[in-house]
Amino acid sequence: MKEVELDCLGEACPVPLVKAQKKLAELEIGDILIVQIDHSCAMKNLPEWARTDGHNVEVEEVGDGEWDVIIEKVK
Amino acid sequence: MKLTDKIKTNDYYILWLKDAWPYLTGAILLSVFQIVTFAVTGNPWGVSAAFANWGAWIYEFAGGSVDKWYYFASEGAKNTLERGFLNDFASMRNVGIITGALFATLIASGFKFKKFKSSRQVLAAILGGLLMGYGARIAQGCNIGAFYSGISSLSLSGWVFGLFLFIGAMIGSKLLVKYFM
Repeated sequence: MKEVELDCLGEACPVPLVKAQKKLAELEIGDILIVQIDHSCAMKNLPEWARTDGHNVEVEEVGDGEWDVIIEKVK
Repeated sequence: MKLTDKIKTNDYYILWLKDAWPYLTGAILLSVFQIVTFAVTGNPWGVSAAFANWGAWIYEFAGGSVDKWYYFASEGAKNTLERGFLNDFASMRNVGIITGALFATLIASGFKFKKFKSSRQVLAAILGGLLMGYGARIAQGCNIGAFYSGISSLSLSGWVFGLFLFIGAMIGSKLLVKYFM
């Protein structure tokens, strides 16, 4: 089980979502992907996609206008 | 407990000011306000046409003249340019959108200056902006004036615009994934 960080700071939609989808596909079940974002619309579409896909998701506000979307791959 | 902490943890602050509103709430408010803007100004809601006028005002301020330009040749366009920035409803509405968005993000403490990731990203942003601006002008409207206001005025042109907007977005996303990921 490993933890991978994906730096998407400064990227606008839909780049963070596409990057996260690609990265998560490379990971094993049980791995954790932390997507760093500062584009508020990614805060909506990233967790929405990951939850619909059945993964565990948590969003953490790390600073003004900056969030970590933490995704645990479950399948 | 400090006042700022009290506000930060207040349920209504989080619900109304901090978190993004649901899409449905946004859709209803946009519908209501586009009716208000139609009733008050006599024109349907539009965004990008005013930016062309901003360009003309800046050009004139710098000593240029758009008198001979086909785009500004109509009586209506000339009148708008003559009345000026402060008397143009569409310009004032755009100023409201920009300051309103700034205010909303400040109040949610979500304001941040973003770093440029690469020169490629800058190039894509400039190129994309130019294409969208130019496209919106030769299509006589952007996704607000031609698409949103077109459809809400029961005009067929709005649906045609929407169809090609969708096709364009599909091609654009493919190009984005191919060249900018």
